Amino acid sequence: MSTQSFEDAQRELERIVERLERGESELDDAIKLWERGEELYRYCVSKLDSAQGKIEELARRVESSRP
Amino acid sequence: MAKVDAIEYGDKKVYSVASFNRGVADWLTRLPTVWVEGEVTELRRNARWQSVFFTLKDPSDGACLGVTILRSRFDALRLDLGDGERVHVLGRPELYEARGDFRFRALSIERFGIGDHLAALERLKRKLADEGLFAAERKRPLPRLPERIGLITGNDAAAKRDVLTTIVARLPAARVLVAETYVQGPLAAPAMIDALRDLCASPGVDVVVLARGGGSFEDLLPFSDERLVRAVAACPIPIVSAVGHEQDTPLCDLAADVRASTPTAAGRLVVPDAVELRERLERARAGLGRGAAATVVRARQRVDHAHERLRRAPALTIERRRARVEQSAARLRALSPRATLERGYAIVRRDDAVVRSVTSVDSGDALEVELSDGRIGARAE
Repeated sequence: MSTQSFEDAQRELERIVERLERGESELDDAIKLWERGEELYRYCVSKLDSAQGKIEELARRVESSRP
Repeated sequence: MAKVDAIEYGDKKVYSVASFNRGVADWLTRLPTVWVEGEVTELRRNARWQSVFFTLKDPSDGACLGVTILRSRFDALRLDLGDGERVHVLGRPELYEARGDFRFRALSIERFGIGDHLAALERLKRKLADEGLFAAERKRPLPRLPERIGLITGNDAAAKRDVLTTIVARLPAARVLVAETYVQGPLAAPAMIDALRDLCASPGVDVVVLARGGGSFEDLLPFSDERLVRAVAACPIPIVSAVGHEQDTPLCDLAADVRASTPTAAGRLVVPDAVELRERLERARAGLGRGAAATVVRARQRVDHAHERLRRAPALTIERRRARVEQSAARLRALSPRATLERGYAIVRRDDAVVRSVTSVDSGDALEVELSDGRIGARAE
């Protein structure tokens, strides 16, 4: 989970919702899917919350910054 | 060839500097007049000097050629040349004998016009397109939530401000690594290539924006420099090119994964809107709850339905048996003689015995005739 990218997690979450909404899954599967979905949701939100906004300047090598 | 005097030292022939230079200078005059293309740098013009000097530089590898032209001739051309301008110079090589300096004696100069630039760009564009550098299948998608954004831009440029403002407004949590560099002039292309390489080597950078605001056709030329275009095409990380205005299409725009019409548009492309992103997540989560709940409801309905059928099963069995009995009774009734009587037949009895033959009845016997709706008495004659 921790190596999953935000977009993969978001995509998986949305696929799970689609499957649940089509209603083709068995009850046991549905509960598993729901748990997985909640986990993905929490992961995505934490990714959004934990990112620290930052604007940095790249330290350039001297030779490339001289005219 | 002019006579060059040498001094004999034993078996060595030694030339004075002046005579050597004169010899070389003389030899050089045999070379033909040619056109040379390059960028003007270090232009020096002084009203007291007889000649104007500048250096002609090859923009692709920086090779240099000193050029001199008579001031009167230079002024008559009315070119108003500035450093960095690309020109065609007609002239021939010569040696300035007093200093042994090799240089190009210009007879005429023509500014490398927009037409020349356009033709050169068109040639380069066709060549790179033939190599497949601009092919649609090479384009990669941008990350939806970039970990760290690399930004290449001029220092204090409006383009830098536009990109950063847009990014931060949409996603306050965005991390941006800015590489300031030259974005116009002869140094721009190599400087931007360096910046691109450095950004790609920086940890976490997973998308790069190359941004520059609008400018003159010449200002934007470095963004069509073959070296830069190739570096953009070879960039290991998805790259967005946002150079100039909508109508400008430098070649690096074609080589990038995504082309943004302006630096602001590039900002919108590289980061999602945090508000929208959260709303989308919340919608997905709500759908998750609804979907799971609906599955439970459907499962319960199936169980209830089965239970209902189970409950009704015994009553159903009795009903079915009763129906079969009724059916048999109906068939039984259909077989009774009454149906025959209704068609007009009669049963004749004498002394409660059914009469089957005329021989069993004598004249004057009392008979009983049964019809479909009752019995009547009769006497035989």
